Amino acid sequence: MLLHISPAYFKLLHGFLPWIMPTNGNLGDKNFQMGKPGHREGATMHVKKYLLKGLHRLQKGPGYTYKELLVWYCDNTNTHGPKRIICEGPKKKAMWFLLTLLFASLVCWQWGIFIRTYLSWEVSVSLSVGFKTMDFPAVTICNASPFKYSKIKHLLKDLDELMEAVLERILAPELSHASATRNLNFSIWNHTPLVLIDERNPHHPMVLDLFGDNHNGLTSSSASEKICNAQGCKMAMRLCSLNGTQCTFRNFTSATQAVTEWYVLQATNIFAQVPQQELVEMSYPSEQMILACLFGAEPCNYRNFTSIFYPHYGNCYIFNWGMTEKALPSANPGTEFGLKLILDIGQEDYVPFLASTAGVRLMLHEQRSYPFIRDEGIYAMSGTETSIGVLVDKLQRMGEPYSPCTVNGSEVPVQNFYSDYNTTYSIQACLRSCFQDHMIRNCNCGHYLYPLPRGEKYCNNRDFPDWAHCYSDLQMSVAQRETCIGMCKESCNDTQYKMTISMADWPSEASEDWIFHVLSQERDQSTNITLSRKGIVKLNIYFQEFNYRTIEESAANNIVWLLSNLGGQFGFWMGGSVLCLIEFGEIIIDFVWITIIKLVALAKSLRQRRAQASYTGPPPTVAELVEAHTNFGFQPDMAPRSPNTGPYPSEQALPIPGTPPPNYDSLRLQPLDVIESDSEGDAI
Amino acid sequence: MAPGEKIKTKIKKNLPVTGPQAPTIKELMRWYCLNTNTHGCRRIVVSRGRLRRLLWIGFTLTAVALILWQCALLVFSFYTVSVSIKVHFRKLDFPAVTICNINPYKYSTVRHFLADLEQETREALKSLYGFPESRKRREAESWSSISEGKQPRFSHRIPLLIFDQDEKGKARDFFTGRKRKVGGSIIHKASNVMHIESKQVVGFQLCSNDTSDCATYTFSSGINAIQEWYKLHYMNIMAQVPLEKKINMSYSAEELLVTCFFDGVSCDARNFTLFHHPMHGNCYTFNNRENETILSTSMGGSEYGLQVILYINEEEYNPFLVSSTGAKVIIHRQDEYPFVEDVGTEIETAMVTSIGMHLTESFKLSEPYSQCTEDGSDVPIRNIYNAAYSLQICLHSCFQTKMVEKCGCAQYSQPLPPAANYCNYQQHPNWMYCYYQLHRAFVQEELGCQSVCKEACSFKEWTLTTSLAQWPSVVSEKWLLPVLTWDQGRQINKKLKKTDLAKLLIFYKDLNQRSIMESPANSIEMLLSNFGGQLGLWMSCSVVCVIEIIEVFFIDFFSIIARRQWQKAKEWWARKQAPPCPEAPRSPQGQDNPALDIDNDLPTFNSALHLPPALGTQVPGTPPPKYNTLRLERAFSNQLTDTQMLDEL
Repeated sequence: MLLHISPAYFKLLHGFLPWIMPTNGNLGDKNFQMGKPGHREGATMHVKKYLLKGLHRLQKGPGYTYKELLVWYCDNTNTHGPKRIICEGPKKKAMWFLLTLLFASLVCWQWGIFIRTYLSWEVSVSLSVGFKTMDFPAVTICNASPFKYSKIKHLLKDLDELMEAVLERILAPELSHASATRNLNFSIWNHTPLVLIDERNPHHPMVLDLFGDNHNGLTSSSASEKICNAQGCKMAMRLCSLNGTQCTFRNFTSATQAVTEWYVLQATNIFAQVPQQELVEMSYPSEQMILACLFGAEPCNYRNFTSIFYPHYGNCYIFNWGMTEKALPSANPGTEFGLKLILDIGQEDYVPFLASTAGVRLMLHEQRSYPFIRDEGIYAMSGTETSIGVLVDKLQRMGEPYSPCTVNGSEVPVQNFYSDYNTTYSIQACLRSCFQDHMIRNCNCGHYLYPLPRGEKYCNNRDFPDWAHCYSDLQMSVAQRETCIGMCKESCNDTQYKMTISMADWPSEASEDWIFHVLSQERDQSTNITLSRKGIVKLNIYFQEFNYRTIEESAANNIVWLLSNLGGQFGFWMGGSVLCLIEFGEIIIDFVWITIIKLVALAKSLRQRRAQASYTGPPPTVAELVEAHTNFGFQPDMAPRSPNTGPYPSEQALPIPGTPPPNYDSLRLQPLDVIESDSEGDAI
Repeated sequence: MAPGEKIKTKIKKNLPVTGPQAPTIKELMRWYCLNTNTHGCRRIVVSRGRLRRLLWIGFTLTAVALILWQCALLVFSFYTVSVSIKVHFRKLDFPAVTICNINPYKYSTVRHFLADLEQETREALKSLYGFPESRKRREAESWSSISEGKQPRFSHRIPLLIFDQDEKGKARDFFTGRKRKVGGSIIHKASNVMHIESKQVVGFQLCSNDTSDCATYTFSSGINAIQEWYKLHYMNIMAQVPLEKKINMSYSAEELLVTCFFDGVSCDARNFTLFHHPMHGNCYTFNNRENETILSTSMGGSEYGLQVILYINEEEYNPFLVSSTGAKVIIHRQDEYPFVEDVGTEIETAMVTSIGMHLTESFKLSEPYSQCTEDGSDVPIRNIYNAAYSLQICLHSCFQTKMVEKCGCAQYSQPLPPAANYCNYQQHPNWMYCYYQLHRAFVQEELGCQSVCKEACSFKEWTLTTSLAQWPSVVSEKWLLPVLTWDQGRQINKKLKKTDLAKLLIFYKDLNQRSIMESPANSIEMLLSNFGGQLGLWMSCSVVCVIEIIEVFFIDFFSIIARRQWQKAKEWWARKQAPPCPEAPRSPQGQDNPALDIDNDLPTFNSALHLPPALGTQVPGTPPPKYNTLRLERAFSNQLTDTQMLDEL
């Protein structure tokens, strides 16, 4: 077979090499274009030989035509389909060809699905429930009233008088004329007055200032006309900005809400001007509030509580916050091993207009996290024992790219104002910081209920006369909330405390007497009872039988999953593996090679044809051509042919003279290195 | 050659009718084993020695069995689900909140319907327990005098009885004091749960039309007996009152809701839609879809939720129907029916009830993964409620439908199916007996409702954390109550007391929505790739192998057998017809094929490569080179045409 291959191959090589190594000139010529000294010539010869060898090996491949390549591939590949294309009859060939194509496209399609699934970063969730020794949650307790009325009275004196006058005016308009002469501080009132909107005539609603007739000195049309109740009149708050030129009314359907909201707004304004230290002193001190404390079997007292000032509720106390000391663990379920507290809320000393609910506000939260007690807290009622069974509900997310969450809030574009408390990131903190940030940007002052960044001031009427209007606008703005929700990210580790709450009367009729005696004695060192049912709260907080439920995310599809599924699909349809892919890649490279070779051959033949066309002389004989290629050992000897002539007598009869002998052994003429490479190629 | 002949030969050449690869089954097997892509089979043929061959046969068969087993497992576990729990933080839709007064109708307006009943109940209490009318109802005295001397209407129909355990089958009618013989079955309402030690039990007797078939219901305590007895009569009476009248008799929204505050904005009675519940009177739903768009909260916390103060007038309570005071709250989806009696949180007066919510959404996969229904359309029970499907709706609808079927009238506490009336004595004298029988059958799952009804596939659930605190506080009540009274204005003409009011806070604790989602654990792709993994692991097999097996074992196998049989038949026929001239067997063609394998060798380089003719050919007078090499070449050119065919194909 080599016999047949070699001339063509030789020719190919001949045409191809100059293209690869243009500087070397024609391979056939022993004389190189560039005359080099002997040893250098030898070196280049070596390099050339080596390159040639490599080239041949590359070129050899599995064949020299597309068809050969294809047949070779089909015969030798490890995938199952192609093998059957070549080894059977044409009908089956067609069938197998189609089947192979079909399977290949199926594999591609399925691979696409798997890769897309993998890139969707799905998570799977594992849920575990049980009991283990866990850190007891931090417990924040607040009194529902932020301040002791007896201590804060002097600040609220003007406001309270005004409030009482307002109530009188609302409830009994005709009577209030008598008491209206009281000395009221109308500077507060004028800033954001409450007005009555008379809607009895729906086309011409009348706006009446509650004190309109008094301080303006104008006489109202008639007192009787002003008598209208909730059905006829609506209460509203007038919020003005730009020195009272631009006003909006905030309507309320109920007078209760109107006066409460108004009072809270005014009180906020007053408290914002008082330094926090003074406010802390006016609130409930821990030793008065926490009467008894027992954690597990160990007694504890108010010193185990960390104080934090919360604008809504005054002094709040946190047990087991874990800020300075290690968090306390609880190793057993049940009431006996939890936290037991007896608290005194001092209901008699509540600020009457600020807090209408009496009780303890409490919240369970994670260590080192800020308690947003106003949003997530629960109430405990006075005169009862409230038992709270706790289940720790933990959620652990994977983080990017699986779920959008943040580990410590560092990548959230909102400055965390709660970081002063040295607490961890939470989405509540982020939302509130975001609101405060908007507030500072829009109104130039911070709201009293939220922490303040450095260098900013709390809003009050004196320094920022427009703040109430601005705040009200901002609070009602849906767009603001949406922006904040859009900016804030969830925390990756989220802990919630699920509570089972039950209540019972406490102390019981029989035990009431001695319990109050003992508690009064302990707190006030008095023999009389200084406490009452209305002010006393008992709390039991303990772990339930199953104290944790952990929801943990893990990647649903990892790289192993992907690979095994890809392998499974490939194996299922075609019995292939990665090596088959490499085979396929190899074939493609060979394919490219063949294309290049063919192109070169084509170019060469074109050029030759053009050269022949221009060549005027007689065409060269074969012998000449052969001599041009290899001029060693060429002996056009006819003598050896004689023994072969026996079987072919007809050939000898052909009397054409001058015919070169075409049946020389071409193998012999082959350059040595080519043969070598051939045999090596076969070996490979 | 004629063109037709030419085509025929061409077709014959191109599409040779080649049979199976081997003439005999043994050959076929051998050929298959040598050429197959699976791994084990080849070793059977190439192995030397019987033991090895047997071992390899064993291994191969084991591998096949393992593949079959594993694939069967994969198929059977295909319809499993994996559950994922996701927590999103987003703006949440506020649920619909339905608020009902526990007492359905103002007693002052409804009393004229119930006067006789009240009178008889009092008398029953008096004679049963002998206590004087100690209830401090101001008007009670005057009312009781009216119906003096009247024939007891209600206890005549359903007598309240006292049973003595000592005397079996005897009961004392407490009105007449006469002993009655009690026939039929005695059903102790509680006795199947626990033993009652007391000697005397109270109950009532329900009889069907002809009074021969009676069932007696006894209760361990007189309180239950009297309440049940009262309720039966009450339902009977109220069933005859038209709906408009009932709505008017109940509480108006303005009356019930003193103040309302949602998400920092005032709201009022207009934000609530009326929903009349047969047993709870007028209920009001906040944030119902009918109003406008569904409200949502973008902040957690009590400030941003719903805050209402409710006016609960205890003086208007029905003394026998309800024994607790307060309101009921149900948090539900907008299109869901509020089952006030079944679910609902009760609210105490003089308290603030703060309800923190967590939203959990669940999605289940329907058929074939689990038995649930998306919208109830595939459940053969007609939904008589004007609300989205739920299991409870289905059960109630089922019961009501059965009730109409069996008793001819509908039960009062559930909506009316089309073309049905509520039960009452006038039209359906023995409905109560029927109802009790049916109810018992329903509870014992004899009606088949429980098996027909499926659960809904997706549902929203609000987990509630309820806590209480005193409200108003001692110091704030002084100013709060007068202002609230002013707010109520015309509605009531009295000063509000602490116990007339209840405050309710409903809010999202945080805006985390937890969704529990079922998703298919397996997809078709996964199944196939698992198949592929199994096949590849045990035998390095693929679908191609499966096709091969089908080809070899089902097509070739049978065609060989068929050919054999055909030949035998032919031979037999030929022998029979013309013994001297046996026909040549057809087999050589099949035998030829293996020999063709030699031809399947690679084409030679030269022949495969269609090079331009050598330059030497241009020499004039060159004879055609007819050497022996050429002859070899001819064979290859044959081969070449073959491969060309392939290309064309």
